[in-house]
Formats: sequence, C-alpha cells, structure tokens
Amino acid sequence: MKKSLMGVSALLISTMLFASACSSGGNDSAGSASNAGASSKPTEKSVELTVAFPIFGAVPKDMQVVQDEINKITQEKINATVKLMPIGFGDWQQQTNLMLTSNEKLDLMAVFGTSYSNMVAKGQLVPLDEQLEENGQGIKSALEPDYLNAAKINGNVYAVPTIRDLAVDYGILMRKDLLDKNNIDAASVKTLDDVERVLKTVKGSDANFTPLIPGAVGMTLREGYVVYDDLGDSIGVLPDFDNGLKVVNLYETQEYADFVKRMHNWYKAGYILKDAATNKTTQFDLIKANKGFAYMSRQKPGFETVESKSNGQPMVAAELLPPVATTSSVTSIMWGVPVNSVNPDKATAFLNLLFSDKDVINLLDWGVEGKDYVKKSDGVIDFPEGVDASNSGYNLNMGWLFGNQFLSYVFNGDDPDLWTKMDEFNKSARKSKALGFIFDVTPVKTEYAAVSNVITQYKLPIEMGSVDPDKILPEFISKLKSAGIDKIIAAKQQQLNEWAKANSVQ
Amino acid sequence: MNHSHNRFGRKLRKFGPLYLMMIPGLIYLAINNYLPMFGLSIAFKDINYRKGIWGSDWIGLKNFEYLFKTSDAYLITRNTILYNVAFIIIGLVVAVGVAILLNEIKNKIASRLYQSLIILPFLISMVLVSYLVYAMLSIDNGFVNKTILPALGLDPISWYNEPKYWPYILVFVNVWKGAGYACIVYLAAIIGIDPEYYEAATLDGASKWQQIRKITIPLISPVIIMLTLLGIGRIFYSDFGLFYQVPMNSGALFDTTNVIDTYVFRGLMQLGDIGMSSAAGFYQSLVGFILVLLSNYIVRKINRENALF
Repeated sequence: MKKSLMGVSALLISTMLFASACSSGGNDSAGSASNAGASSKPTEKSVELTVAFPIFGAVPKDMQVVQDEINKITQEKINATVKLMPIGFGDWQQQTNLMLTSNEKLDLMAVFGTSYSNMVAKGQLVPLDEQLEENGQGIKSALEPDYLNAAKINGNVYAVPTIRDLAVDYGILMRKDLLDKNNIDAASVKTLDDVERVLKTVKGSDANFTPLIPGAVGMTLREGYVVYDDLGDSIGVLPDFDNGLKVVNLYETQEYADFVKRMHNWYKAGYILKDAATNKTTQFDLIKANKGFAYMSRQKPGFETVESKSNGQPMVAAELLPPVATTSSVTSIMWGVPVNSVNPDKATAFLNLLFSDKDVINLLDWGVEGKDYVKKSDGVIDFPEGVDASNSGYNLNMGWLFGNQFLSYVFNGDDPDLWTKMDEFNKSARKSKALGFIFDVTPVKTEYAAVSNVITQYKLPIEMGSVDPDKILPEFISKLKSAGIDKIIAAKQQQLNEWAKANSVQ
Repeated sequence: MNHSHNRFGRKLRKFGPLYLMMIPGLIYLAINNYLPMFGLSIAFKDINYRKGIWGSDWIGLKNFEYLFKTSDAYLITRNTILYNVAFIIIGLVVAVGVAILLNEIKNKIASRLYQSLIILPFLISMVLVSYLVYAMLSIDNGFVNKTILPALGLDPISWYNEPKYWPYILVFVNVWKGAGYACIVYLAAIIGIDPEYYEAATLDGASKWQQIRKITIPLISPVIIMLTLLGIGRIFYSDFGLFYQVPMNSGALFDTTNVIDTYVFRGLMQLGDIGMSSAAGFYQSLVGFILVLLSNYIVRKINRENALF
C-alpha cells in the first residue's frame, strides 16, 4: 500500500518537474530577452524599432555594423534605435504573416502591392495620414502627391511607396553581339512587327536556335508587353489605361486574341523557346548558355547596364511601349506600420528618415563608407581596394527598397545622372486614369479562387504561344465565365465607379 | 473498495515505469495534435487580425463555398480519390511483392544492399524528383525524347503538354518513391513469422507459391490492413509535391494533375485567406475521418481480429 502511494507520488512529482521545467524555461528566455533590450537603451526614453524587410540570399555579414551606424544617427535625430530584421524572400510572406498574427513586436515593414489591400482589409496596418502630417513631412515633400495618393484605400494611406521607378515601360532587351553580327540597329525596333523582323533575321536558318525567351521564370510573353491597366491582377482590366473607366475582361479583348495569335505564329516559326511554358531556367542562364537572344520585360532607366551585368555580356534595350504609372507600378514596393507597433510615431519618424536622410539611406543601400564602398567623384561610388561583389561585407544592392533611392549614391559603371533621368521618367510618365484605385477582393473571394485557378491553367501555354489559340482561347474564356469572372468584373466596376466619384475622376 | 485499491496499486507497480515513459509522448500529442484543434474555428470565420481569432465574425459555411462552386469541383475530387485508390492498391501489391522477394534472398549482403537501394527514393525531396523526371521527359533534352523514342522509331512527345500520359507517370513516380518504405514495414512483419510454419509446409510438400499464399500473406494481413486503413484516412489528401512539382505546374496538364491540395494552393496564392485554406483542410480531414471509421467498420464485420479499433 505504502509502496504504491510512493509510486503515485513519484509519478506526480516527475510530471510536475517536467511541467515546471517547461514553464520556467519559457520565463527565462523572455526575461533575458527583455534584459538585452534594456541594456541597448542608453537613455530611458529611447525606443527600439523593429524593422523587417526581405533580402535575396544570405544576410550580409556587416548588417550589424550598418545597424550600429544607423543607430548613431537615429539616436540623435529621433531618439530611437532600430533593430534591422532581414528575412529571405522565400520565407517573407509566411514569416511576416506569423509575426502579424502572433502580435510579435514589429514597428515598420516592407509592404508589397500584391498583398497590400488584403493586409488593410484584415486590419494589419495603421492608417498613416495623421502620422505623415506630424512625423512625415520629409516623405510628403519627396514623394509626388499623385504617387502617395495611389496608396490610398478608402481615403486613408496605409503604406508609403518607395521612390524609385514608379512608372513602367515595356521593351525588348537584345544581345549586342548578335545585333552587330546581323547589322541590326536597335533604335529601329519600335513595334512588335519590328521585333518579328529582328527575330526572323537572328534565327536565320538555324532550326535549333530559338531567339525569344521568357523575361523571367514563370512570366509569360504577354506579361512582358502590357497595353492596359491591370487594376491589380489582370482579372478585369482597363484597356489603354483609360477606356472611359469601363472595366473589361482582358481575355475577351481583340488585342489579347491578336497577341496570342501572333505568339503562336512565332512559336510555330521557332522564334520562341520550345518549353517556354514549363521553363524553370532564368533568362540570364539561358542567355549565357546561348539558348536565346532577347527577352521582353518591363524596363527603366539604367536597365541596360544592370541587365548587361546579370547576363555577363553587353545587352541593348529597345522601348516598345512608353512609360505609364498605374496603381500596381506605384504600390508594388511600399513601407507600412503594422498594428503591432508599440510606437507608430517613432516608426513614422524613422520612415521619414528613409525618405529624407542621405546618410541613413546610403548606409542601408551601400553599407559603411570606407569599408563597403569609397567615393570616386561626386555622387559616384565604387568598391574599396581589394573588395568586390564576391567578398563585400554589405552588397544588398536593393536601393529601390529603402525609401528614397534618389538620395543614394550611384555605383561606378552606372550613369552618374541616373536619378535625374529616373525622376524625369517618373514625371513624364503617363498616368493611368485609374491610378490610385485599389480593388478589394473580399466580396468575391469565392469566385476569385476559382478564376485564379483557371488562369494558372491556361495562362502560360496560351501566352507563350505553345498552344493554338483558335482552339484553346474559346475554351479558356468559357471556363473563366463558369468560374464567375463576370461577377468579379462587375464588383470591380462598381468599386471603380465609387472610387471615381469619391475622387472626382471624370 | 480496499480490494480494488489494492489491485490498482499492484497494477501501477507493475506498469508504473511504462506509464511514466508514456508521459512525454502524451504531452507531445496534446500540445502538437490537440491544442491546435481550436484553430478549426478559423474555417468558419472571417479572419480579421485586429479582432483576433476569437473576435472575428462567424460566417458559417461561406469559406467552404469555393470548393464546391466551381466547374472544377468534380474534377479535383475525382482526381484526388482515383489517384489515391491507385496509389493504395498498386503501392500495396508492389510493396508486398518486393518484401516477399527480398525475404527470399539468402545472401545477407545482397539483401541489405537491395533494401537500401529500394528505400533511397523515399529519402529524395520531391523537388529533386521533379527534376529527375524532367531529365527524362524534357522536350528538347529529355532522355526519353532524345534516346528511347528515336531508338524505337517514334516521334518525340511533348510530355508537359499532354495530359493523357500523366496518370501513368504520376502513379509510377509515386510507387517508385513510396514502395521502398512500405516494403521495409512488410519485410519486418515477414521476418517475424515463425520459420516452423514454413518447415512444416515444406515437409508437407507445399510449393513456394503455396507457402506465400497460405502462410506469408495471411500472417502479415494485420499489417496490410493497418497500413491500408491509414492510407484510406488520407485518401482526400494528396501529396502536394508530387502533383505540383513533378508536372512542373504545367497548366496544360491540369485535367489529370489537379487535385484538392494544388487547387487550393493555386486558388489562394493571391488571396492568402487562411479562413478558406483551413476550410479546405477541415473538409479533407472530416472526409478522411469518416472513411477510416467506415472502412474499419467493414473490416470488423468481416474479421473482428484484424480491425484497427
């Protein structure tokens, strides 16, 4: 009897020990974390801001140094320090979602146009209008009002677009060696007919060489030549960026039919990569392997130089469509303050520095002067002695992400007037009539899921020209209809009308 | 009272250490498998992060609508179930067959070698498998189109645009990848059979085939039934990697490669709506649960001993 009692108590004790070990472990880590936070605050009032942004590849080894340097500036200017939290692009969506859901501390984060309206609908972002008035004058003076307003949802700005290429022009990028060999003047390429002529010449009689390749993995040829405002997702579009604000079904337009017909002809003629619809090799690798000659994609000032580097050989760009600014092009990269933020005032103040403080911006864009870069001449920088892209301690090369790119230095090899040209590009760009309209998909979620599926099924093969549109396009359209695309377009039209009325757009 | 107390005490003394060893497992189960179940409520809510999971509005079955409303609803359900039925049956036959053959190999080293080779595909990531398949079936450079078909005097086939071949390709890949693992389980069961049965059978003049049919298979049938029931429980789930990666997400193949998981993934890629995705998960587990109960009920009707519970 006694022995059995002992057994029971032993069992109980061991359970309790196990449970308490678990809970005390949790307490411990929480305690040490808050201690560490406290010790990094020199003055009592200063706040630490957690700033999350995505990066490609590994975290640069000088990230900590850059952070320390930034903190010296922010400590003085806004009495706050920042904790930079780089997250790999592949994990970005999931990790930020987790942080937002679990109410983890997060004060400022990059926001992408594709998830923006969703995040606002789910109540994940703080409205910034008053904040910008109080703490963000630098942002307001740096960013053209039209472009800031493009991020408005229901009259409120929830995220601020970064200053970079805010408009989009489409064109074709071609290998210089093959242009020279065939005596083609890139400046003469202005329309799809011209492109067809060039492809024909370059292909010559080589049956195995397919000159045109996709502009990126998974990107169709139609997506590299856009003649309409996609209104966020290409489900219901505004042809010619105007169309009297009448939303139409892209896949039913004559332009679309003509385009895919042309692509199919190109495909049959052997101008397009044979497995374009399932291709998983980047455009750079294809070009390097001599498996292609050109690709169509969105461009911007300085595009030639950047892409020549990536392709390892000189490339020449030709513009096919002039620059246009749409909500998608402006809102594609933004910064917002999540509702988790403990101090939205300070978060906005730091965001303000990202748009107005040359030192902070260049630290984030290029690292520490003398260590990661040296100044060559006015505004142009280069790697220091013995440092190159492969061993640099900080080589993110993501100026378009960190606030105002126009305040950053230009890297050696790029056009010294790059930012002036880019500014000109933005200012001269035509503005879509629906610039500022953001579609809220919530009322038609059911149809949206179904339509997205139909589009992923047909988009790649039909827009890469690998199937015959005479047969497949009618099938595609009828499937879209049965999935409920008309209901989405009607909802979009209604929201667009309301938006136009509220913003007095004629 | 005292008597039963005593019995309980004796039991505890006898099995106490075993119960103790059970505790970590139970805690793990509770934390990992039961605690998250409150999340099932997400399937019936319009999630708003500001309001939190409990505070969000109930919206009834609205999250489930998209699974049934589309023209593809029939297609994805049919594909999911038929593929899984094929996987269960063919996988079973192949795995048991290979296990029996492996058991007959008397050379220890050779038998070990075959076992390792057979389980190797199971350990390869689906992404790599998709590229192995691509190396075979690529239009331009694939082994099949470059070497095998020309040798047979046939025209190259554009594999990633022809849905009709994919049921066979996917079943083959699945069996190639999964059979090794199941085979090891069956092999363990076969090795556990008392050799005396076979000695007696040999004395009575039973052929190898008769021994397999009358001794091996009946004796490992509990394992077969268990694994099959577990397979049936997952009949409404599909191996995402197999159906998404291996066909290279090629739109032209959706008629034969679209299953519930890929459908949900593609449909919600842009929406990112966790309410709708948990609705899909809830629906899958509900159907799986019912099917397990049902098939277990049938097994119990036929042979009470072999039922799982």
